[in-house]
Amino acid sequence: MVSGARTLTGSLLQRSFWGFGSVVAVAYALLPMIWILSLSFKDKRSLTDNRFIPSSISLENYRAIADDPQFSAAIINSLGIGLISTLLAVVLAMFAAYAIVRLDFPGKRLVLLGALSIAMFPPIAIIGPLFNLWRISGLFDTWLGLIIPYMTFTLPLAIWTLSAFFRELPWELDKAARVDGATPFQTFRYVIAPLAIPGVFTSAILVFIFSWNDFLFATALTSTDDARTVPAALAFFTGSSRFEQPTGSIAAASVVVSLPIALMVLLFQRRIIAGLTSGAVKG
Amino acid sequence: MAEIVLDKVSKRFADGTLALQETSLTIDDGEFFVLVGPSGCGKSTLLNLIVGLEEISAGQIRVDGQVIDHIDPKDRNMAMVFQSYAIYPHMTVRDNLAFPLKMAKLPKQEIAQRVHRAAQMLGLVEYLARKPASLSGGQRQRVAMGRAIVRDPKAFLMDEPLSNLDAKLRGQMRSEIARLQKRLGTTTVYVTHDQTEAMTLGDRVAVLRDGKIHQIGTPRELYSEPRNLFVAGFIGSPSMNFLPARYVGGRIILPIAEIRCQAEAHARLTANGIRQLIAGIRPEHIQDPGNTATDLNAGVSFHAAVDAVEWIGSDLYAYFTVRSDSEVWQAMPYDMGSVAMEGGTMRCVARLDPASDVAEGSLYTLWLNIRNIHLFDARTGENLIAPRMLAPQ
Ligand SMILES: Nc1ncnc2c1ncn2[C@@H]1O[C@H](COP(=O)(O)OP(=O)(O)OP(=O)(O)O)[C@@H](O)[C@H]1O
Ligand SMILES: [Mg+2]
Repeated sequence: MVSGARTLTGSLLQRSFWGFGSVVAVAYALLPMIWILSLSFKDKRSLTDNRFIPSSISLENYRAIADDPQFSAAIINSLGIGLISTLLAVVLAMFAAYAIVRLDFPGKRLVLLGALSIAMFPPIAIIGPLFNLWRISGLFDTWLGLIIPYMTFTLPLAIWTLSAFFRELPWELDKAARVDGATPFQTFRYVIAPLAIPGVFTSAILVFIFSWNDFLFATALTSTDDARTVPAALAFFTGSSRFEQPTGSIAAASVVVSLPIALMVLLFQRRIIAGLTSGAVKG
Repeated sequence: MAEIVLDKVSKRFADGTLALQETSLTIDDGEFFVLVGPSGCGKSTLLNLIVGLEEISAGQIRVDGQVIDHIDPKDRNMAMVFQSYAIYPHMTVRDNLAFPLKMAKLPKQEIAQRVHRAAQMLGLVEYLARKPASLSGGQRQRVAMGRAIVRDPKAFLMDEPLSNLDAKLRGQMRSEIARLQKRLGTTTVYVTHDQTEAMTLGDRVAVLRDGKIHQIGTPRELYSEPRNLFVAGFIGSPSMNFLPARYVGGRIILPIAEIRCQAEAHARLTANGIRQLIAGIRPEHIQDPGNTATDLNAGVSFHAAVDAVEWIGSDLYAYFTVRSDSEVWQAMPYDMGSVAMEGGTMRCVARLDPASDVAEGSLYTLWLNIRNIHLFDARTGENLIAPRMLAPQ
């Protein structure tokens, strides 16, 4: 009885503590986002009125960025570069992770450690040399010039998440399929691939988010609309006329580029978390 | 349906582990053949060699006279049931059952028919549209069986198919498997580490340890004529009791009794100058003299300090300890497998009539049936004397 009452108060205290903590954490994380959302709906005059909730909703800023050729070019660059690097990184990581999990080869640990150290490597350290190298080799301000670093820096993450995932696949299924009369290709096609899809999907999302959000490489290695991605383009935004602060347009553009990522994460959060933690706990 | 012949087959893994020593055996057409042995003895390896998931290192495997060493598992037309069931989690039960048939490119209609027939046989019809995740352990096991029987394979290979089930379900599935196998008449190789399963299912049983087959025989043969200590200790539940024994001047001296040897036994025991022996006594051959139908002249009585009694309705197990300082103990424990012993004492168990009034903590007179004692060479573990070569004092 006594212990029952104690656990009840304990859980009440605990619950309110965690509840309060969550509210603080969420508010801390979301306030800037909400502020930007609010800014994006304000018109020119009320931009600086310091009100949290806009007095009137205006779509002016959104219209402005929709008409801006810079912005649409940047979106196309971001999408193209992001998708291509994701595809390359995930396909390469799939082969690597498969080999790491299924095969015993010398240097297996070395590959994993190498991948880890690349992930730890501060990108800023190579920006200078890369800048020079890209200018000499003609990769500067091209899609390929961004795809290469994105792919390189996301590969370790993809390899680690995918090998954690592959490790969990019941490989006895592979034997069962062979005994059931399936060729190696049929085994892959009907048994392994369908089971591996969620893991591949998870790492693809993570890789895509990385390249979509990257600012460092995008500013340093591009100079025109040829390859400038959205985060970089936002920094060079001029707004609808050269004499005004483009705050509103930047806010609107920020909302537009954050939206797909936010949606993606919300839609697939289960999968992403499962993918990130798989291998951590058995079961 | 097929006869499977292993001809001097052995398996050594890349890391040097000799998982299977040179083995020759024939599994007859339609036979239910059981491989039994403790963990790590090479049962799964032997099965994987037959189905082709592992390559043999030496020797030859023939199925119906045809050498299959270099045939890919997918072309061997054998069905395997795995310990983990290995059913495809992303497919419905129907698709699981249909998978081998689809791979064999059977016409759609025939696939549907066969899947239905197998599902009916195993009571799975109402679950056909379900995914494995929503099935119970027993139902998953059935799906695994179903996937094996749909395609009329040459042989069923089963690797501990029941070890993930609870005791009751295991018993139920065991009889179901036996019934199914009799009905289909398909050659079956069944792996288990459970001697009860082996004894109840097998037409013949092979006892393995450390990659070596110690004995092949019918369950009865293994039980009544174990070839060595290991087989004797492994087969039977509760295990055979072991006691150190010496052979001196035509008599066998046990810690609990002395036994006179008949001429034939004498010849065998003296042939190799064997001195140290281990006597093996099945629990049912120690009885309550007040409660037995057997002729008491065929045995000897002794006093036992009974320290535990288990009454299970049909039987009564009386446990007692026998003390001995014989040096024989040192070599024994490994060979005797599960038999419990510590220091110089040996735990023994007698299986008595449930009507017996033996009580815990009492000094009770028990009776040992001499005719059923096995005598093993303490050095090699070999069974020297089959029962009935001994006479009471
Ligand atoms: N791929 C492998 N490489 C090296 N050694 C192996 C390999 N597979 C199995 N072994 C070894 O071969 C021996 C027999 O293994 P096996 O899996 O056949 O045992 P088992 O009788 O099936 O045991 P269990 O009852 O635990 O399943 C073991 O000592 C094991 O460590
Ligand atoms: Mg095994």
